[in-house]
Amino acid sequence: MGGLLEWKVRAPDKPMKDRLYFDGLKANVIDTGLCSRCLTCACICPVDGIRVVDDKVDFPDREERCRDCGACIRVCPRFDYRPKYGMGDYLEFTAARSKRFSGQDGGMVTEIMISAIEMGMIDRGLFVGRDERWRPQVFHLHDSSQLEVGTLSGTKYTFATVLKELKKAVLLTRNGVGVVGTPCIVSGVRKLQMEFPLFRDRVRLVIGLFCTENFHYDELMSFLEKKGIKPEMLIKTDITKGRFIATMVDGEVKFKVKELEEILPSGCSVCTDFTAVESDVSVGSVGSEPGFSTVVVRGKSAEEVIAYIREKGYAEFGEGDPGQLDFLIDYKVGRFYVKTKDDKD
Amino acid sequence: MRKVVAPDYTVFEHVKRHVEAVKTAIREAIIPESVTCSYPKERRKMPASFRGYLIFDPDRCISCFGCAFICPANAIRMKEAEDGRYYPTIDYGKCIFCHFCLDSCPEGALKPTKIHDVAYRDLDRMLTLTEEMIEPPEIIREDKRYVEYVIDGRDLHLRRVDGEDELLVDLPPPSKVERIASCIDPESCTGCRICEEVCEHGVIRSSVEEDGVRMVIDSERCTGCGLCVKECSMRVLRLVRR
Repeated sequence: MGGLLEWKVRAPDKPMKDRLYFDGLKANVIDTGLCSRCLTCACICPVDGIRVVDDKVDFPDREERCRDCGACIRVCPRFDYRPKYGMGDYLEFTAARSKRFSGQDGGMVTEIMISAIEMGMIDRGLFVGRDERWRPQVFHLHDSSQLEVGTLSGTKYTFATVLKELKKAVLLTRNGVGVVGTPCIVSGVRKLQMEFPLFRDRVRLVIGLFCTENFHYDELMSFLEKKGIKPEMLIKTDITKGRFIATMVDGEVKFKVKELEEILPSGCSVCTDFTAVESDVSVGSVGSEPGFSTVVVRGKSAEEVIAYIREKGYAEFGEGDPGQLDFLIDYKVGRFYVKTKDDKD
Repeated sequence: MRKVVAPDYTVFEHVKRHVEAVKTAIREAIIPESVTCSYPKERRKMPASFRGYLIFDPDRCISCFGCAFICPANAIRMKEAEDGRYYPTIDYGKCIFCHFCLDSCPEGALKPTKIHDVAYRDLDRMLTLTEEMIEPPEIIREDKRYVEYVIDGRDLHLRRVDGEDELLVDLPPPSKVERIASCIDPESCTGCRICEEVCEHGVIRSSVEEDGVRMVIDSERCTGCGLCVKECSMRVLRLVRR
């Protein structure tokens, strides 16, 4: 394989003259509350210095360690932010229930990822699991036997460091990598792919999740504890019809989602993307009957996986109704306008 | 299949061979000729490529970890020195004397010796620290002559030569495939310039231009040590044949 002895790297414009690129990112994105905590910047940082400090993305020792390459600013989906909204383009809107795996609703995220691994499209998928205190942990999924731990599926409603693991996965992979994430993570992956061919070639499947908001772990847990919910006793969390439902070992606790607004992260309040419009396939619960996952196929790679699942008969397909999503799409856009109006006042 | 039979000697040949045998027996009874050398009074002369105890030159080491990675016995550990760099330590309790470390060293920092007789009081002391590897180990030499094996016709003979065999050798570093660092995916380069910082020979240079960073590898001076390849966070550098 040949190579180059001389090459050029494009450097982005500096947002703050005579300061580090990260200072510019901090001033424009993190301190203004636009940051979605997707950690795309941490994924690309060549010295691996960007991390989460007190629920905020930071690079504490940047004066000593930062190489000032500007990669963080090149990949940040919220720098030069162009909000996405609506349903986005799709090839197929359907509902499905996996016959092999159980999950939040139809277990379709697991099904799509495992099927893609079986097809040889990817050799690892990045999943978010949790420990017994519901702290999110990133897993590299290679085959279905790893699912026996049982904590990979199900919604966690807390930020995970998926993208921090993505570079490792991309450098280790032989075939390709699959990622599951919220719309902000999907946008981060797309921006990484736009800027760096390494990710363009090796991230083959991006599964987006329907998302209204996500919470910081500590804030959500102290909120739940105020409601009398102990994380050790929790089995499943879900948001259905405007209510947060926490299923515990000894019963259920329900409360209105509106109450969670007091701990809503600012990065989520400026997000208008409910359906992860940039993903290869979006999966969520709204838009299909209970027990089914809504599957919105957008990309060629996802179309192949769904065709494979149909051919093998791994899932039962039903009817999806795109109209049911309109309310939440409008809700997120509306929240964005309220937020920006407040800022102006 | 061929049957082995006794040679068909004449009477004269039989007598000649018996006389030779008696002569050898008398000679061996008076001055025995052994084929073993009486160590430690004498030492066998080893070839210059003998794989013995290793000595180490920290000035040449570039902390590339190549020796530690290649060691099949996991005998080499890199230890942080006061100058913040990492140098090898060798556990001779594990070392199998394959000298892969020496062959893989891009800078010739590890050197071979013919020393094979080093004793340790206990297992812990077999872990040889970097400082102890710089000088050859102290050995008490009782040998006044060295021994060479000579093959004379079909016989192996032993020749004793007066004088000491030099145990330190000055071999040129082993020849290897000439490789240089090269960028295989310039678009994925972040421009962090860590490669420039780690390069020991100043081969990789960057210059900041108006709209970006220009990176240049001086192929003439690149030694192919692979430090930059190891440190590149995006793995866009690779060693290629020169």
